[in-house]
Amino acid sequence: MRAATKILVGMMASGMALAACAGGETPAATSTAPAMAGGSTSGTPCTGAIGVMAPITGGAAAIGGEQLNFAKLAVSDYNAKNGTNFSIVEGDTQLDAGQASTVAPQLVSNQAVIGVVGPAGSQEVESVGPAFADAKMAFVSPSATRTSLTSGAFPTFARVIPTDDVQGPTDADFMVSKLGAKKVVIVEEKTSYGAGLSSAVEKALKEKGVDVKRIQVSQKQPDYSSVVALVDADTSVVFATFQIAANTKALANTLQQQSKKAVVFGSDGSFSADFDVPGQYVSSFAPDIKGIPSSKAVADAYTAKYGEFGTFGPPTYVATQVIMTAAAKDCTGTADRAKTSSNVLGVSIPDSILGQPITFTDKGDVKDAKFFIFKIGDDRKPALVN
Amino acid sequence: MELFVQQLVNGLTLGGVYALIALGYTLIYGVLQLLNFAHGEVYMVGAFTGFFVMVGLGGPGKPIVPVWLMIVAMFLAAMVVSGLLGVGIERFAYRPLRESTRIAPLISALGVSLFLQNAVLLLFGSRVRSYDTPRYWSGAGPQVAGVQVNPVRILVLVLAIILMVGLTRLVEKTAFGRGMRAVAYDRDAAVMMGIDVNKVIVLVFFVASALAGAAGVMVGLVFFNVNNYMGFLAGLKGFTAAVVGGIGSIPGAMLGGLLIGLIESFTTAYVSANFASVLSFLVLILVMLLKPRGLLGTRAIVKV
Amino acid sequence: MAEESLAIGTDEWVAAHEGRTSGQVQGPVARTFGRLPWWVWGSIAVLVAVVLPLIGSTYLMRVGVNLGLFLMLALGLNLVVGYAGLLDIGYVAFYGLGAYGFAMLASDKFGVHLPTVVAVPVVVAAVSIFGLVLGLAARRLLGDYLAIVTLFFGQMFVEFALSGDAITVPGRAEQVDLTGGTNGITDVDRFSFLGVEFSSDRWYYYLLVVLVVLLALAVRRLDGSRIGRAWKAVGQDPLAAEAMTMPVNRLKIMAFVVGAGIAGLAGTVFAAVQRGVFPSSFDLPLLILLYAAVILGGSGSLKGALIGAALLSLLPEALREPSYSEMVFVLLLVAGLALAVRSWRDRIIVVVATVVFGFVMNLLFTLLHVQGVPASAWTSGPVSTLLGHWLFVPQDRVLWGNLGFVGLVVLLAVLTLVGTRVRPILLPAIVWLSIFVWFVRLADVPSITRQLLIGALLIVLMIVRPQGLFGRRQVEVL
Repeated sequence: MRAATKILVGMMASGMALAACAGGETPAATSTAPAMAGGSTSGTPCTGAIGVMAPITGGAAAIGGEQLNFAKLAVSDYNAKNGTNFSIVEGDTQLDAGQASTVAPQLVSNQAVIGVVGPAGSQEVESVGPAFADAKMAFVSPSATRTSLTSGAFPTFARVIPTDDVQGPTDADFMVSKLGAKKVVIVEEKTSYGAGLSSAVEKALKEKGVDVKRIQVSQKQPDYSSVVALVDADTSVVFATFQIAANTKALANTLQQQSKKAVVFGSDGSFSADFDVPGQYVSSFAPDIKGIPSSKAVADAYTAKYGEFGTFGPPTYVATQVIMTAAAKDCTGTADRAKTSSNVLGVSIPDSILGQPITFTDKGDVKDAKFFIFKIGDDRKPALVN
Repeated sequence: MELFVQQLVNGLTLGGVYALIALGYTLIYGVLQLLNFAHGEVYMVGAFTGFFVMVGLGGPGKPIVPVWLMIVAMFLAAMVVSGLLGVGIERFAYRPLRESTRIAPLISALGVSLFLQNAVLLLFGSRVRSYDTPRYWSGAGPQVAGVQVNPVRILVLVLAIILMVGLTRLVEKTAFGRGMRAVAYDRDAAVMMGIDVNKVIVLVFFVASALAGAAGVMVGLVFFNVNNYMGFLAGLKGFTAAVVGGIGSIPGAMLGGLLIGLIESFTTAYVSANFASVLSFLVLILVMLLKPRGLLGTRAIVKV
Repeated sequence: MAEESLAIGTDEWVAAHEGRTSGQVQGPVARTFGRLPWWVWGSIAVLVAVVLPLIGSTYLMRVGVNLGLFLMLALGLNLVVGYAGLLDIGYVAFYGLGAYGFAMLASDKFGVHLPTVVAVPVVVAAVSIFGLVLGLAARRLLGDYLAIVTLFFGQMFVEFALSGDAITVPGRAEQVDLTGGTNGITDVDRFSFLGVEFSSDRWYYYLLVVLVVLLALAVRRLDGSRIGRAWKAVGQDPLAAEAMTMPVNRLKIMAFVVGAGIAGLAGTVFAAVQRGVFPSSFDLPLLILLYAAVILGGSGSLKGALIGAALLSLLPEALREPSYSEMVFVLLLVAGLALAVRSWRDRIIVVVATVVFGFVMNLLFTLLHVQGVPASAWTSGPVSTLLGHWLFVPQDRVLWGNLGFVGLVVLLAVLTLVGTRVRPILLPAIVWLSIFVWFVRLADVPSITRQLLIGALLIVLMIVRPQGLFGRRQVEVL
């Protein structure tokens, strides 16, 4: 056992020492060439690491896995097109604000990281905002929709999707005018996504005189039968603020099984091939990217490599593009964090894969963001209806 | 009234599933005095197996065999795969610890649970899979007291009852059952009586895990969604059910399962969907404090 | 010891018991540490801890703070589980109660901003009372049943924190928001002592160093004291303790209270450091990690709890960065090999055989027309660059990585089944497969790999050395 002892002790000691060093300069991805005076970028590929904060493991891994893969695709596409040398650093937060606040300082202290894509959850953004602001680290979220995030509190924050304040009224309006709803049940997911959006929709509906009932469910709950039993016969729409489309499908199936009249309207979190029950509705902040000719290439590339995707992936692609574009703008070999964050709001992507041009307001929101509403046809594919 | 009947049906279906998982816990505890935390993951693997068999047979869109045959295949495959997995876990993670302290297999079980959850995540990805039962099995079911009862639920409930009755017969009437009860009562005496304890334990694990696998397919059929973390939550509830009913007691596990299912569906409907879980746990704590051995547990007199 | 006694025969044999057993029962790690007195190791650790902030970055401070909190929790849990033998699976709920308590008393949530010197003792006292209540309720429960009830308690806390933003109180029209639900409570005040505000992680780091040192010293004092010995007696054999007229129930309740207090204190620091509290931080994953740490170190041992906690808090951080995680992997591989094969001659044979096997596999892949990727695509650190000349990495990394993973698990299972003769034949294949699976697949998904390693660690640890690094091998008389 002697040798084993020594190895074991050595392993512990070096393990601790390594971890101690882990936060410092990482030799890996940084190019050590000094910045060339004159700022010419030709000859030296722009290098930098992009942190991706997403729920890569944990209960919401379905979302985070897709986000991470789209970020990877964006990086390889951009590198191939522009000859840059960007890379990805994972930051698993499990959609938990507490974990996010631990991952953020780690990314900040990793000198190679020049910008962050994420975090995915609105609550996470709140918890990491101050740290990133202090470090002048740009962070662009593909999925945090809480309206208050872009009120100016986080100067280095931007997002590529519209807010709850846009989605709420759009969806409510459709439900009242096109579906003639007088009674709506909102099934709210107990996450920071579900809570904010449900409040926005409820407010918009109540302003139009609709009778609204709100039921909360946990994201992990497999069984909606008890919830569905609470939906009575004159409720015409069940609005589901879920992030996992398969849950919305289960809800719709359960409603049908219990022969309820109500139709399911899923928020943007449900826009995915996983929610394909005919006759239901779903909203999204972009037209279906598979239907946009210029985005088809990206969609096909993703499907070939990783499989099906839903609503959270494509905006991550765009968010990653935003960071890379901002970083590459003044890049002289090694991308610079401070310059990247000051360039972010000026980024313009006229033909993003979301089918809409991306330009930012000075608060970090996308200009003229709209919501689109789809009805799922008998072919189990969504078709635009508004 | 309609709500009540609907919730009763829901509660019974849910309860049936929990009961099957609870039975697995109770069987294993009976022979090994081990709380098998990895049982939930066995159930999850069963659910995944059923899903892949369904997809392999063309479902849910275009099944290439009649629907009833597909469902039978799903159940059989899930039960066999889960059973074998359970046997494997016993062989490699628990058997070396037979002579160790009480806590060692518990920790090992936690490790197995963590490992399996993430192995499935690694191999199959994080996407939630859906059984999408209504696509190949639609149609309203019979009317009971004015409420439309879904046929899938009826199947699940009937199947659960059949399995439970089958298990009770197995335990009470067969030689294997006698051996199992002997090992549960006093392992050393059973060895002296010439019972092959290892074989009994392996068979118990197989049966318990097969039941969990069946429960997995049932959950898929009734509640549709399958992902790698489902085992954790269901395992917790099944474990709760087994304990509340009296761990080591088979009728106790069934009672516990049904009780938990009913508590959940009724608190969701009548009290608050929000607080259903909190109230369930509170009720359970109270039951445990008042009857520490569980509802049907025996007051064991331990010789010191 | 034995020199002083004049007794001859049986008494002398009994008196020499300590000397006889301590050397043999202690494991190799414990013996290594035992070579120097405990305060030397302690002083070295404290010195390192104090010097670290001067050379470290903000991230390092955050890691240090997390480590400090984890150490406190491990110490507390060690008291409850290791000393008093109470299987408390809801322990993390006390941590959460402390954090939420502080958040409610020192944030914008209810507009209450108690000064730190008031808020912290109040919260710790309140959490201790919770511990008292739980202890009272559960004092008659034994072993498994205590585990179950405490598990329920822990889950109830998390569920309550999650749903606590919409509590229907009879008599009020509006729902009460107590815990902030899934959004938790944010904008928690920082600590401030004597007018000085804790403006950066460094302050909390030093505070935690002080707290951990004080706690460790207190526990050490406890070891020799009456209460400490009484707890250990209750932990090892409650029936015998009761027969010896020890007030078992009271001791159990005291253990609960003290453990809860420690966790509550850690909770307040956590809330202040994070500037917010969220329900998901106090759920089972943290508890499993905590138990793993205490068990790894050897429950009942102070050194064990500290070292186990340090390992399990720091190693996952090392795994995040690929160039460091590969070194961790190599160390694990080397340790595994050293434990599996004893003689140096055999080890060299296995290494050579592995290298040969690697080339054979390369040939196989080429024959099967499997597309590979160049080394630059997957190497990042010194180790992988070295291996890049030898290891074949297919293009479809996910598929081959998964196949390799399944194959590795199967081979490892088979390894435990076969006799010692056949084992050396399997080893080269297993070593190659481990390297293959790591670099082809696992290194790419550090978040998943981390969990897989913790799970595997727990299983292997229990089989190989259930008493942990510093524990004593316990024999249960059944």
